[in-house]
Amino acid sequence: MKQFFRRLMDTEFLPMSEVRKIKVILVMAFLLLIAVLSVPFSIFFTYSLAVKIIVIAALVIGYALMIGLLQLGKILPAIHLSIIYSISLTLFYTQGTSGIYAYLFFYISLTIIIFYQELYSYLLYGTLVTGIGVWYIITHQAALVMATDVPGAIYIYVIILVLFYLIFLIQILYNEKMYTDMNYDWVKINKMVDKYQEDTYIYLDELRKQAKKPALHEDTDFQKAVDELIVFIGEQVKESGKDIVNVFDLYLYIHERGLEKILENEEISVAMKKTANKLDKYLLNRRTDMISMILNFFLQFKKTPEYDPERYQYNLGKLAYDNDGQIIAVAMLFQYLAREVTGKDEWDQVRKVLSLEEIDSLFSSLEAEEFLTSAQVALFKDNYDLFVKYLAKNSERKE
Amino acid sequence: MARHKFHMFPEVDNYRETLEIKRLRVKNILVLIFIIIMMATTVSYMLITGQFNMKTEVIPFIVGYFIVIVLNFTCLAYGGDNYRFYLFNKYLTTIGIFIMSIALVFIFQSPSAITALFIAYAITAFYQDIKGILLSDAFLLFSIVMFMIKYPEFMNMTNTNLENIFGTVIFFVAFVLILTVSSYIIFKQKQFFYNQIALSKEAEYRNIDLLTDLQKTIEGKDVDIDDYYVGLNKFLEAFSQKLGIENAFKDKTAIMLEMEKGANRIQIREKHPELSDNELDSLESLLIGPGRQLRKVAVKMSRSMGLHIKKREIFSETHFKSFNHQSDDEEIRIMAFVVFYVALKRGFIGLPKVGDKEIYNAVVNTDYFYFIDPRVMSIYQKNSEIFATISDDHFGKKGSR
Repeated sequence: MKQFFRRLMDTEFLPMSEVRKIKVILVMAFLLLIAVLSVPFSIFFTYSLAVKIIVIAALVIGYALMIGLLQLGKILPAIHLSIIYSISLTLFYTQGTSGIYAYLFFYISLTIIIFYQELYSYLLYGTLVTGIGVWYIITHQAALVMATDVPGAIYIYVIILVLFYLIFLIQILYNEKMYTDMNYDWVKINKMVDKYQEDTYIYLDELRKQAKKPALHEDTDFQKAVDELIVFIGEQVKESGKDIVNVFDLYLYIHERGLEKILENEEISVAMKKTANKLDKYLLNRRTDMISMILNFFLQFKKTPEYDPERYQYNLGKLAYDNDGQIIAVAMLFQYLAREVTGKDEWDQVRKVLSLEEIDSLFSSLEAEEFLTSAQVALFKDNYDLFVKYLAKNSERKE
Repeated sequence: MARHKFHMFPEVDNYRETLEIKRLRVKNILVLIFIIIMMATTVSYMLITGQFNMKTEVIPFIVGYFIVIVLNFTCLAYGGDNYRFYLFNKYLTTIGIFIMSIALVFIFQSPSAITALFIAYAITAFYQDIKGILLSDAFLLFSIVMFMIKYPEFMNMTNTNLENIFGTVIFFVAFVLILTVSSYIIFKQKQFFYNQIALSKEAEYRNIDLLTDLQKTIEGKDVDIDDYYVGLNKFLEAFSQKLGIENAFKDKTAIMLEMEKGANRIQIREKHPELSDNELDSLESLLIGPGRQLRKVAVKMSRSMGLHIKKREIFSETHFKSFNHQSDDEEIRIMAFVVFYVALKRGFIGLPKVGDKEIYNAVVNTDYFYFIDPRVMSIYQKNSEIFATISDDHFGKKGSR
């Protein structure tokens, strides 16, 4: 419980799948409270005793089903079931009593659907709840409107419920757009970081070879240390650490043989192939998630200049103050690209200087929009001969 | 154990704020539109029914809304220059909307108007701000308690039975509770994205620096600064000649070269008092030396070719790097963490050396805490010294690298 609340407080660190799980647990706790309350409240409801018993039994079964789905990790079905459960509770209350509190259930159900922030669920279930709510208001006027009420009070109920639905619909649409944009940015930056880390890995490997040290996964000290720690944790989590040692053996075997050969091997069981596939992202002999996490970990300790608002500005049009600066910026950029090693050769090593054709297509590409203004691209195109003559490396200059 | 977790890169907090401000203007505009719609609907109703007193009810109501709208416009106008106006506007509008909704209940004296408070909550929830949520909660709870106790007739609760009284109280509280939790999680979800983007941005910044440093180590040299400026000056001279103008770049490139050679800002300002801070900042960002911004642009641009993102990738979590993937078996999650830990202990040639204390603090008190299976993390926290000792037995205190 303590751990759950800690995770709830730190939700901003958790991925969406984890947050979804937390959401379902919270909604289930809330639904449990309401379902329990419905037992004493059902005394006042107009249903027959048999109906009351059947509904309460159905609520218990529904709840058990939700727990089962959650245990099995079926989060999406659990989400839908919890929404259907809340709508069922709404119907149970609104059809059983004419008390004004039953009307609140439409807002409660809508809020539960809003909680999940899933556009299609909101469009389906939210519209359904609003529709039933409007129908309820129209058919239960006597319970909702006082004798001395303002004229057209019933329409106020309808308008406010519909407005509540619409405002949150707009909010969900806005969030959907915002999350899509942010996700796109996030994926794009991550892919770029992966590219840098691929080259970084090559350099680190070259430094290791120069120092005549074994690769990490081939280092017997490394293997022994991992083995011992695995057994140590394994004994605390399970009866023995043998299963984990087997996984580690497979992990080392993948480094040796390669994933493709293991997947092609008919003698290896399907379960082991599945495990091998999952282990692929943690390999140490190329840039993988494991290598990325190790590199990022070390980067925490790298000294960098203090933060300033232009820290992540990669557009030369915005970095340069005036026209002169913009011209200088393009010239310097071209010089770097035309002189320094930034590309990979046929052996996948970072040893190649980009050719003039490659730089030209880079400046003309869609990707260039992130770095250059259209005026800067035009400047490059219009003065290509000058760029090549004075700024390319000596061997490429056309004297 | 420290309860509050820190980001692995401290710059994340700064950039997260920048992301927040970037979207605040749009949110303020959307809320303003809702307020105008709310005012137009209510005033139209009051005028059409003709049941409300013009002097004591309709006009004061319009004036109240007018004040909220004018304040909104003012904050939006000044927000461009100082983002604090946007922040201020969130709280000001929250208070304004709730005051107007409470006023509406007093004017209408009808249970139907009570639900206008929910609309006020829905509108202010748009800001997705934790202080704003608490403010809305306080207003909603205060007004509901006030109406129940002091004005039960507004809620159709006079001469009513126990079922209605208890039902209304319990489910109002339940509704406010679920609204609050919902707003809180939505706020945190937004924070997650801001965090991840900010983390990735900083990771990119630092990875470019690392790549440049390693390249320099491997090649045994860095860019030939003097040669760059020889080429640049020749190019600018030819470019000026082509346009038939005088070469106006000379002074700037000379200053840039001075900066590249290590001249500091004070020295440059003494020699060139005619240049503003903005101009000097701009020239500084165009330098090509190690760690300079233009160098980063060049490194990034050179790797950006052929970067394609598929639609399904946008919504996939596979790019979220962690040792706590729910799709992985427990054995894999344990092994992944151990491999990671031992790799850190062993170290890498070309990367900084990190001590036991630093490893422990970074694993336990930063984002990395959430990248690791909670059970494994708990074992590590309780036995970090054993972890260190086992590794040291194989690599020695200094690591093998």
